[in-house]
Amino acid sequence: MSRALQSEPIPPPDPLIATSCFDFLLIELVPLAQRITDKIHARDKVLKEELDRSLNIHRSVPPPSSTTEPPMKPDGSTTGAPSTAAGLDDETREALYFRLNNMGYRVGQGLAERFSTNRPRPVTPLETIKFICKDLWPLLFRKQIDNLKTNHRGIFVLTDVRFQPLSRVSVDRRAGPRAAEELVRRAQVYLVFPAGAIRGALSALGIEATVQGETTEIPTATFQIKTKGAKA
Amino acid sequence: MEARIPSIACIGVIGRHNNPLHISLFPAIGPNSTQEPRDKLAFTFMLNSSLDIFEARMPSKTSQDFGLLHALDERIALYGWLTNTGVKLVIVVDMEGRIAPTPEAAKIGVLGLRGGDLLPAFNALQTAYVRLLQNPFYVPDDHDPKLVRGHRALEIQSPKFIREVERTGQAWYPGIVTI
Repeated sequence: MSRALQSEPIPPPDPLIATSCFDFLLIELVPLAQRITDKIHARDKVLKEELDRSLNIHRSVPPPSSTTEPPMKPDGSTTGAPSTAAGLDDETREALYFRLNNMGYRVGQGLAERFSTNRPRPVTPLETIKFICKDLWPLLFRKQIDNLKTNHRGIFVLTDVRFQPLSRVSVDRRAGPRAAEELVRRAQVYLVFPAGAIRGALSALGIEATVQGETTEIPTATFQIKTKGAKA
Repeated sequence: MEARIPSIACIGVIGRHNNPLHISLFPAIGPNSTQEPRDKLAFTFMLNSSLDIFEARMPSKTSQDFGLLHALDERIALYGWLTNTGVKLVIVVDMEGRIAPTPEAAKIGVLGLRGGDLLPAFNALQTAYVRLLQNPFYVPDDHDPKLVRGHRALEIQSPKFIREVERTGQAWYPGIVTI
C-alpha cells in the first residue's frame, strides 16, 4: 500500500469528502476530549498517590507489608463513565476547554494556510476577520457569519444566528425553563473547538487574539474576538 | 562555448519572523555534466538581503507574487513570493545554470526570463507547504522563534517537504507549465 502511494508522488489535489464528516467529528470530539482529560486526571491522581506513599515509606521505617503492596491501584474506581459536561468541576472543565481549544487552533492554522492561497493579502485586521466570516465559515459550517460587530479598537463580535453544530440539539420542553438553561450550559462546550479554530486562523494570518465562544439561546452562537492590545 | 539556460540555484523558505525554515541548494551543471557546488553561506546572505525588499514592497503589494526582487549580477537573480500567512518563498535563479539541451531551448537563455516563468515553481512550493501544514505531526508553533523557548533547530525536518522542494528545483526550466 505504502509502496503504491510512493510511486505516485502527487495525490489528486482536492479529494472530496462528505460535509457531514465534520459535523460528526465535532460531535464526537467533545466526549473524546473529555475522556482523555478524565484519563489523564485519573493517572495523575494514581501517580500522586504513589509518590506520596513512597515519600512516607522513605521518611519512616518501612514496614514490610507496605513495600510489597502493588503500586498500581485498580483504576475502575477512578475512571468511570465520562461525566457530562455540565457536572464537571472547574479544574477538569478548564483542562477540557484547553484541550479542545488547542485542537481547534491547529486546525485553524492549517485551514488558513490552505484556503488563503489565491486571495489578495488582508492588510487590516478587519479584512482578516472578514476572511474568517466569508471564506472560512462557509467551509466549516456551510454558511457565512450573519453579523459582525466591531468597536474599531480591536474587539470583534461575530454572531451566527443558526450555528450548525447547535442546530440539532434539543431540549425536553416538559421540563420547563430550567431545562433550557441547562441546555445552554451544556452547549457551551461545543463552541470551544470552533473558537480555537478562529484563533488558529487568525494566528496564521498574523493576528494574535483570544476568542471566546458563547451562546445565550440555541442555536445562536457569538464569538468574541479580542485582539492583542485591544481597548475595550 | 555551449549555450546555457537558466536554472534554479537555491530555494529558500523563510518564516514569518524572518527565520529560515528551509534552504535547498542546486549545483550548476557544467560541461560533461560536472557539478559546481554552491556555497551555502553565500546563498544564505543573498536570501537575507532579499528580506528588506519584501518589507519595502509589502504595503503596496496585495498579490502574493513579488516578482523579481533584485538581480545580483549577470548570472544571479532573486524572485520572491509571500503567502498570506507571512511565509516567504525565495527562488534564486542562475541565468547560466545548465547547458541547453536543444538549440531551441538555448534561445530562451538569450531572451531572458518572463514575469510568469517562475509561477509554476512558486505554486509547487506553496502546495508543498500547504501539504506540510496538513500533516498533523508538523506543529507550526515549534518553528516560530517567538514561541519556542531555548535553542532548538527551527528548520523544517519533514522529508516529504524537502523532497518536494528538491524536485521543484530540479524540474523547473523556463517555460515549464506545471511542476
